[in-house]
Amino acid sequence: MSRFRPADWRSRAAALMLLALGAILGGCMADQPRPLDGINRQLEASGSSSRAPSLSGRWLALITSRGNREVIDLVDLESGRPVPMAGLNRPDAEPLAVSVDGSGRRLALIRQRDGGTELVLHRLDVGASEPIAITPAGVPEQVALSADGRILAVQVSRQGYSQIDLITLP
Amino acid sequence: MAQRQDRRPPPGTTAPVLTTDSSPERRCRTWSWLLATLVIGSTACTPIRQAAPSVGLGTETRLEPALSGDGRLLASLLERDGRTTIVLQERQSGRLLPLGQVQRNAPHHSPSLSWNGRYLALISQQGERRLAVIEDRATGQLHPLPLPAGQEVQRLSLAPDASRLAMEVNRGGQSRVLVFDLRPRLEPDLPPGQSVSGGGLP
Repeated sequence: MSRFRPADWRSRAAALMLLALGAILGGCMADQPRPLDGINRQLEASGSSSRAPSLSGRWLALITSRGNREVIDLVDLESGRPVPMAGLNRPDAEPLAVSVDGSGRRLALIRQRDGGTELVLHRLDVGASEPIAITPAGVPEQVALSADGRILAVQVSRQGYSQIDLITLP
Repeated sequence: MAQRQDRRPPPGTTAPVLTTDSSPERRCRTWSWLLATLVIGSTACTPIRQAAPSVGLGTETRLEPALSGDGRLLASLLERDGRTTIVLQERQSGRLLPLGQVQRNAPHHSPSLSWNGRYLALISQQGERRLAVIEDRATGQLHPLPLPAGQEVQRLSLAPDASRLAMEVNRGGQSRVLVFDLRPRLEPDLPPGQSVSGGGLP
């Protein structure tokens, strides 16, 4: 005849509670997005802070704080490697916003230079930047490039209002 | 000693390329063609501009534009009566498109669209906290994407195929960009004609 042993019941109850807690925590964790740890570690190591991400295709463009200045970085998420960008990060310019297309060949960016703010289209395949005039005049604040690289949407400040200009690229 | 070659075409044939006719009429025609070519070329290379279609009654503040991957849809934030809310439009016609649960919990921030605009990611307000959410416009389902305690989302960028999401996160007063994998949770939103790997026998 088995004897009732309180210690056994206490340990079984504790095990059941742990299982229930695990299930609850597991449920909560399942709601959380799954971080790409390898890429995130590399991003963390590449600068003291980072901001303004733009994802398109396999490319991530972002602004990274490195040393005493901010630069635009482009990362190939498939290989995990940064893409060299000749001629983009000028020492006399400070990037404010960036957007990349799905091919990784075009970057639209807003930067401060010579006391002004300019909208620039950079073509990585030829390593050339071309300023895009804001008409009527205004200050560009945010930029979004469609993944097909054909349309640019720009938030522009004019006379105290922010508006959106749409630009079809050739 | 090299002999000078006769470059004239043989009798009965046409001179293929250059002529040396330097008459004033000829030069005038040449310059006219060059000018016309330059004008047409520069027009073709000039970006075409338009203002975003209005959604209100005149001057309105519009912020944080986002385009679908194919450029057909425009999401933006509309500031009206002290509220900042998301609006989704067809870019060319300006027609407003309906949104589901994601329209609640304003103010909204940092919209982002997938390739065909099936998914709309944005930051919404949940009480004191900001929460990243993705609305599936095809099913009406809302996917909340909570972050661990101590991290608050500042900006979003959804990959056009909806495979990944990049978040700018504030952690202890410092901004960090983190990339997340959405593949187990969301069906891909691909350009027409692009195949999905797997799903069949060889």
